[in-house]
Amino acid sequence: MKAFGFDYKRGTSIIHILDPRSKFIYTILFTALTVYFVNPLVLLLVFLSSVPMVIVAGVGKSWLRSIRGSLFFIAFIFIFNLIGIFWTTGSVADALIMSISMSLRFMALISIFSVFFLTTPPEDLTQSMVQLKIPYDYALTFNMAMRFVPTLSREAQIIMDAQRSRGLELEKGNIFQRVRNYIPILIPLIISSFRRAELVADAMESRAFGAAKRRTSLYVLTMGRRDFFFILFSAAAFLAFLSLKILLGIQ
Amino acid sequence: MVTSRPFEGVEELILFEDVSYSYSPGRYAIEHINLSIDKGEVVAILGENGAGKTTLIKHINGLLKPQSGFVIVSGMNTKDTTVATLARHVGLVFQNPDHQLFAETVEKEIMFALTNFNFPEDEISRRVDWALKEFGLLEYKDRPPFLLSGGERKRLALASVLCYDPQIVILDEPTTGQDYRQKLHLASLIKKLNSESKTVVVVTHDIEFAADFIPRSIIMSKGRVIADGDSEELLTNRELLMSASLIPPQLVELSWDLALNPPTIHFDEIVSSVKKLLEGKKA
Repeated sequence: MKAFGFDYKRGTSIIHILDPRSKFIYTILFTALTVYFVNPLVLLLVFLSSVPMVIVAGVGKSWLRSIRGSLFFIAFIFIFNLIGIFWTTGSVADALIMSISMSLRFMALISIFSVFFLTTPPEDLTQSMVQLKIPYDYALTFNMAMRFVPTLSREAQIIMDAQRSRGLELEKGNIFQRVRNYIPILIPLIISSFRRAELVADAMESRAFGAAKRRTSLYVLTMGRRDFFFILFSAAAFLAFLSLKILLGIQ
Repeated sequence: MVTSRPFEGVEELILFEDVSYSYSPGRYAIEHINLSIDKGEVVAILGENGAGKTTLIKHINGLLKPQSGFVIVSGMNTKDTTVATLARHVGLVFQNPDHQLFAETVEKEIMFALTNFNFPEDEISRRVDWALKEFGLLEYKDRPPFLLSGGERKRLALASVLCYDPQIVILDEPTTGQDYRQKLHLASLIKKLNSESKTVVVVTHDIEFAADFIPRSIIMSKGRVIADGDSEELLTNRELLMSASLIPPQLVELSWDLALNPPTIHFDEIVSSVKKLLEGKKA
């Protein structure tokens, strides 16, 4: 169980060496597109537009894992929209189109964010946040939250094993019972996270974290020509999508 | 290949037949494991970090299914048996109690497995009472498990598994973080389980504990069983311990230094040998 494949692996592709800030601009612009449009074809296009980046970056395997990991949620979104919209409008066609749109929107979001996280070294991410004038404490908190995702998923697996060893059957009962079955897993997970957070805080303070009033950086990120082109290209694609709305009136 | 029911004649309680398992392709966590453990045996599984000890025991209650070979437990092939069914026979106590404690009170924590296995109500309250007393937890009955001390949480984790009286008990690193008195307590618990003809498997780094209290040792290294037999014989074998990156028990080192032949893991044997040596000098 690898949670969402947001696990960065070192790479040397053009996507990997882009400045995190330029990738972040791409992420924001394309996220805006997924929220702005409801037409399933446009959303499909937004989704597909992230695929070449995945291929260039050579992170296809991890990307597929993210998509596969989110299939459950996608199915969930699809079914609930289908039922909900059919309930309110009474039209099967409307319900179907809307549910497909919502699922595609989610898939596009997962894909865009995967590209970002799979190709951006966590320490560069922190550094770029600091250079964007975000206080270091917050940047570090974010970095550590990401850093502990794999740890947490490993721990969830151990807890699941421990409870199954005491006769817990996760797949037993109706849907409400099944949700309740996860309580013996979630509680130890939350408590041990708190324990660990406290431990990490103590360990950091013992090594004089926060002693220096002003931090300086050994490495400073700089935007290069390729970043300029990448942002230009992202903005152009963004505007091209927007023109679909302005010129053709596609929602 | 193995047919699906060749196990009628199997006498052993736990049987591994050429079992291999790998988490990621190309690297085996355990490889070609063959071993058998009889009813009523007490066995230590020793080995360095990453030797495959935990992977091995997860095969006994079916948390992991062998990728090749097969595992038979109490006459059941683990491949076609659910973890819940196997867990009724195999009590597995994890190393870190924080990975399993979740209930509002100590009492409810112990009840968890019992309700999962559908014990009748009066049986549940009887067993909970027994476990609370047996593990010295009676006074904490209504407290949240998270507020107990480390040693108490470890005892509660034990209680919450042993309460349903499994016929095979597996303890993963039970001595880590325990003081000597707790270790003695654990040893007497193992002895008691053994006297009830339970089978006990102890996974441990603690070679002293194995030498002092456990008659049979299985030594693992790099995913393979490299030795299996009488603890005294294995734990006094210098080459074997070296190749498994294990530090010999202190008594064994002492008997090597004293050039005792044969070396021993028993304190009283060393004492009597030393006495003999001293008397020889006097004479």
